Amino acid sequence: MNDGIDVKSMHDRGRTPSQWKYVLCIAPMAVFLIVTFFWPVARFLFKSVDNSDLVSNLPRTVIALADWKHTDGIPGEDVFAALVQDLADAHANGKDGIVAQKINQRVVGTRYLVIKTARIAAKGGFAKEALRENVLKRFSKWGNIELWSAIANDLKPLTEFYLLMSVDLQKNPDGHYESVPEEQAIFLQVFGRTVWISIVVTLICIVLALPVAHAIVAARPNVARVLITLILFPLWTSLLVRTIIWMILLQGNGPINSTLQLLGVINKPLNLIYTRFSLYVAMIQVLLPMMIFSIVAVMRRIPVNLMKAALSLGSPWLWAWWRVQLPLIMPGIFTGSAIVFVFALGYYITPALIGGPREQMISSFIAFYTNKTLNWGLASSLSIQLLFLLVLVWLIMLMSRFVFLKRTEK
Amino acid sequence: MKLARVLLTMVFVVCFSAQFFPAAAGEQVTVVGWGGNWNKAYEKGVWKPYMKQTGVKIIQEEWMGEVAKIRAQVQAGNIIYDMVSVEAPGAEIGCAEGLFVKLPRSVTGDPDKYHPETIHECGVASDTWADVMVYNADFIKGKIPKSWADFWDVKKFPGKRQLYGQAQFTFENALLADGVPVSEVYKVLRSPGGVDRVFKVLDRIRPHVIWWNQTTQAMQNLASGEVVMSDGFNARITHEIEAEKKNYVILWEAGYFYGTDLWVVVNGAPNMKVALDLLTWFSEPKNQAGFSNNFAYGTGRVEAINYVSETKRAQLPTAPQNIKYGAPYDIEYWVENKEALEKRFKTWLSK
Repeated sequence: MNDGIDVKSMHDRGRTPSQWKYVLCIAPMAVFLIVTFFWPVARFLFKSVDNSDLVSNLPRTVIALADWKHTDGIPGEDVFAALVQDLADAHANGKDGIVAQKINQRVVGTRYLVIKTARIAAKGGFAKEALRENVLKRFSKWGNIELWSAIANDLKPLTEFYLLMSVDLQKNPDGHYESVPEEQAIFLQVFGRTVWISIVVTLICIVLALPVAHAIVAARPNVARVLITLILFPLWTSLLVRTIIWMILLQGNGPINSTLQLLGVINKPLNLIYTRFSLYVAMIQVLLPMMIFSIVAVMRRIPVNLMKAALSLGSPWLWAWWRVQLPLIMPGIFTGSAIVFVFALGYYITPALIGGPREQMISSFIAFYTNKTLNWGLASSLSIQLLFLLVLVWLIMLMSRFVFLKRTEK
Repeated sequence: MKLARVLLTMVFVVCFSAQFFPAAAGEQVTVVGWGGNWNKAYEKGVWKPYMKQTGVKIIQEEWMGEVAKIRAQVQAGNIIYDMVSVEAPGAEIGCAEGLFVKLPRSVTGDPDKYHPETIHECGVASDTWADVMVYNADFIKGKIPKSWADFWDVKKFPGKRQLYGQAQFTFENALLADGVPVSEVYKVLRSPGGVDRVFKVLDRIRPHVIWWNQTTQAMQNLASGEVVMSDGFNARITHEIEAEKKNYVILWEAGYFYGTDLWVVVNGAPNMKVALDLLTWFSEPKNQAGFSNNFAYGTGRVEAINYVSETKRAQLPTAPQNIKYGAPYDIEYWVENKEALEKRFKTWLSK
């Protein structure tokens, strides 16, 4: 025990100066990454649970609704007084729009109810006596018990609303979790689809990349250079050009269909574009190079003699490849798969242009909520789910790698 | 010694680059439009005359309409944009959040002199576009379609159709096809069962539809005959007809909806005063017409059309001969319902 510590500390002492150098080398990059990446990402992800826009702008309502339950019926005078006062303040501070937005996300069709109520409240337009009746007479929608329970259910500083929504769940008035109505249940399906598409793309990339990588490694340097340039072409072409080319190639009267018809292989144009097939083709075209290069990098380091030895000992080629070559290539396949899979998860412009409606992936929804409706709570929740999926897949890969390496060690 | 030299260089660099800082230059303003021909039309028809008249330098930039960018700029207190053209729903949301400046009447002029939905608390129309029905006359011969009902009639007009893959536009077009007059569409949508009716109408045409997401894609499909009819943004279709000599026909009389993008001034904009002055100048009908004379989109002021050339006028959604068939998109309806309806629409599409 003692020995160990001594050795370690001696070891450390010996390395201290150079370690500081390393730290200094990394420091600018680390600071840069923290400031420009990790910190903003963390802040954005926090928005998935942040409820301060609602809670801090409705302080009196929060207190007044603390003991209210939906079984009590429409809240009483005190709650209405608190709400009117809060909305008047919110209007004065220019916060009524945000409050209205947040309430509308929970109960659709209430945005202008809140904004109009706030406007009138700010002008003192509601008579002090019989305030509740007064408000209800002007805006009968405040008599909606679902609206009240949606507000009352969600007046804590941290909300679970967006995270639930991102997995097609909601809280019912009793506080139990339930599925959202069938017509609104889409995210789980899209997550499943996104992962499935990414897995298939990764697997096809592996299958296609292996022979190409073999060819590149076996070829003379000049030929290999040409091959690599050819593989890089798709990456150098702009996304839109690449997409339009696929549209022209795959459409009903495009070259592929007309050639097949001319040859008499088919008598009616095949449905090629706006299908899962066309999406796979377009994605693989771009992602395949990453797989190929990952495998080539590993393959170049494998001594040629190993295969030769296996073959000369009488093993059939395929068997030798399976037992000798493949295990050595495996690290390259793992790296390539990780890159391809992660890239594939984030695709959304290509699916929008080449895929059909059943091919849309989760990032298109994240972009929609981030940019179009400014619902950053939901956008951030969907991002968290995506991140969660990523970590899950990463763990699975790590484990399979571990299991695999252990097996080959035996 | 070395350190001193480094410091000296740094001082030099800072002093030198300070010359490029906006504050040191003359009066200028950064306006952000939709890029491409849209920006060119604004530059030629609007910004150049203003710059000549006032000596202010207008810096043009382009974006894709991500209001998130402006929200991020405002929240970080690092505002780069002065004046931005924002889609109307984005302008409404951003305005309510305080991202944009509320415009006084001294800037916008009398709201009654604008087309409906082309003026807002926080903005005036930068362009008034329309989503119109169009067919390719190379592929439809003899009997020609005349209405959205014909668009839905796959027996009379065989072949694939194309619709925009989102709820807004498609809902309105579906109700037009079901015989609802343009002026009644939002009444139906707001009534109980209105949205269900839309989905029933959409169910009828679904197997024959290709859904488009970008204009380039829509135009490519229309050109190649992949689809025989489509909806699309009118200026892009006009561009294809004029520049690419395509045989497309726009059916204004089938009924259409027009929407607006609005010029807004970002709250805390570095050149707020200039931006407001520019907007005041732009609110004059004559100055607005400079855009429509170079691009097939209208603007907000009704009178602006009087300053647009005769040939250009027929291409505008705001022209008297067209606007009798059209109605504006209801911004309030879509701001309230967009998330829920787009989600329901996408769920329906995924089935």
